[in-house]
Amino acid sequence: MNSLVFLLAKSAKNTLLELRRKPAKLALWVLVIAGIGGVFLLSLFTGQSEAGSLDLVWLKGILFLLILLFVVIAIQKGLANGDVIFDMNDVNLLFVSPVSSRLILMYGIVRMAKTAFLAGFFILFQSNSLSTVFGVGFDAVLLVLLGFMLAVGVLQILSLLIYSLTNGKPGRKLAVRVLAVAVFLPLLVYTGVQLAGTGDLLPALENTLRSPLAAWTPVAGWASAGAVSLISGDTGSGFLFFGLLVLSGALLILYIALSNPDYYEDVLVATETAFERKRVLAEGQINPEASSAKKVKVVKTGIGGLGPSAIFYKHLRESFRANRLGLWGVSSVILVLGAALFSLFQRGGDGRILILLQILMWMQIFMIGTGRGLKELYIHYIYLIPESSFRKIVWSNLEIVFKVLVESLAVFGIAGLIMKEPFGLVAAAIAVYTLFSFLLLGINYLSLRWTGADISAGLLVFIYTIAVIVIMLPGLIAAIVLGSMVEGTGVLIGLGVLALWELLAALGCFALSKGVLHNSDMPVLRTGK
Amino acid sequence: MIDVRNMTKKYGKLAANDNINLSVGRGELAVLLGPNGAGKSTLIKSVCGLLRFQGAITIDGYENHTVEAKRLLGYVPEFPVLYPMLTVAEHLEFIAKAYRLEAWKEKGEALLRRFELDDKKMKLGKELSKGMQQKVSVCCALLPQPKAVIMDEPLVGLDPHGIRELKAVIAKLRDSGCALLVSTHMIESVEEDWDVTYIMVNGRIARVCRRTDLAPGQSLEDVYFTITEGKGQEDKP
Repeated sequence: MNSLVFLLAKSAKNTLLELRRKPAKLALWVLVIAGIGGVFLLSLFTGQSEAGSLDLVWLKGILFLLILLFVVIAIQKGLANGDVIFDMNDVNLLFVSPVSSRLILMYGIVRMAKTAFLAGFFILFQSNSLSTVFGVGFDAVLLVLLGFMLAVGVLQILSLLIYSLTNGKPGRKLAVRVLAVAVFLPLLVYTGVQLAGTGDLLPALENTLRSPLAAWTPVAGWASAGAVSLISGDTGSGFLFFGLLVLSGALLILYIALSNPDYYEDVLVATETAFERKRVLAEGQINPEASSAKKVKVVKTGIGGLGPSAIFYKHLRESFRANRLGLWGVSSVILVLGAALFSLFQRGGDGRILILLQILMWMQIFMIGTGRGLKELYIHYIYLIPESSFRKIVWSNLEIVFKVLVESLAVFGIAGLIMKEPFGLVAAAIAVYTLFSFLLLGINYLSLRWTGADISAGLLVFIYTIAVIVIMLPGLIAAIVLGSMVEGTGVLIGLGVLALWELLAALGCFALSKGVLHNSDMPVLRTGK
Repeated sequence: MIDVRNMTKKYGKLAANDNINLSVGRGELAVLLGPNGAGKSTLIKSVCGLLRFQGAITIDGYENHTVEAKRLLGYVPEFPVLYPMLTVAEHLEFIAKAYRLEAWKEKGEALLRRFELDDKKMKLGKELSKGMQQKVSVCCALLPQPKAVIMDEPLVGLDPHGIRELKAVIAKLRDSGCALLVSTHMIESVEEDWDVTYIMVNGRIARVCRRTDLAPGQSLEDVYFTITEGKGQEDKP
């Protein structure tokens, strides 16, 4: 026991001490904590907005759906490899040590709480949104976080238990699948009955969420009902449902500890898989296709192009081999369908396409990194090809620019039709969105050039995000000022100004990042292996 | 052919490479030895233009970042990274197209045969074992027929046949006038063919040893342990 407490305490202490040696990491943590503190203070001063607040039942619904997503992931993980609650160093050092396997399990579960907290970290930043939409304060955010953490913790143990019980037993795997569906079936049937009764989706969903059936649905129902009950002052129900989560977690742990003290084999596959993924990443293979178990049929072969253009044709071959839609995979389909669905809800208002544009631009800041061009920087070939650095970068990113252009044509074309927006506005939205992607690529290269890629990936993403905000700000101000000076066509002019700024800023970024392949270290993904 | 002058590479305050001087002539096999963390991979990556550094590195007189230098250079990295969605044959085709190579198919076929990859041509990068990936990585580096070849731990992960073939390839390249800089921990694997050895300790070259410098009965391994275990005197290059 002493050795495990020593491990936990020493790890925590060393993590803190490490911050002294890594000022950038320290600054990042200070900023994050200051951000949470700021959100907390803001919620104190702004108070809770009562007017126009949505009913808390919808908060319950959102939390239910969020945890439901984690339920599905936990069951899938359990049926595949189990969840990762240990690191490879635990396997190599602890598992072979003369420490009770049950105590080691407890140690793993204590460490797992950290993962659950980090998974719910984003909730802390939702104080303002929750206050605006539901009229609740920071205390409610903490309760939502608590419910989320308890649920994720229980699900991690559940995942381990499912793996332990079903590993190599197809019959049991089928039984788990049937049971998982059976647990949620009554709720689904109930929603169907409500829908048939009311004839409208929203009232049907509201009735379902208010029903005891939703609250008593395992994990997702307990956590959402517990958090919302406590927020609305019903402490009895709140403690009951949170208590259920704690009790079920404790029972699951007890069952694993008593029934299967030799659980090492059950956690080994997940731990080794996670370790191997980290190792491969650290060695430069950041392409997720490398670790995908999906069977790929090789039909057409060959690479076109000559010189730097071969990089673009290689990307085409890779993309079309990875999925039938080529550059436009499942994510593109989801993007178009999601935008169409959003447009259906936003019909009737003027300029609603701008809200869609704003949301998609935020998403694009982080989606741009999924292109093959930026991933190419992690592999040595692009640096060694005897061609000019600029031409290699242009050809390397043609794939993502082409992808975004077609995506934006589809997304804003369909959304414009549904929302009945004027053609000019749709065209302007397409231009702003496509050029924004071009600018994001430029900022990515500029961030690499400026930092020399000699920093951690997390800090690089942070610098990149700040750079996006700073570089976009003058364009946004100019667009708002110039757009507001003209009556009628002001929005169009504003978008035109923004598009022009994006183009100029992107060209500026590319010019400033000239020679990035010579003046940066080849980036390495630091995985903390 | 490969010339490194007063080269320093720092990560923050840590000097991974400290004032390195090294040169490898045509038809010469230079071996880079040193314990883990000595700075061998950093030096190799800097020579290949993958890292920034202070000092000067030239390949046949061309600054190492120039197109001319890259045309002469072949690099086998420590960890083979292939494109998961390209077949083995397409890896070679990509290199051939990107380097604008002519009449490359026969050379490519010969390389694949040599490393027993000719029956794996249609296998995807992600379907290969680490050893196979290493062989493809070697084939990609050698296809453009470089005049300077840099290999970082090339034998790790190879099967006995692969090791034998790669050793034969290295010897053949050296005989054909190619300059080779090879980093390895397997001293016995280069014992037969090396011309000059650079032994690195703590980011610095602790000893430059030419084959002719060896005393009768002395092996490269003896020199290595004398330097790394602190029993010998340091020779400045």
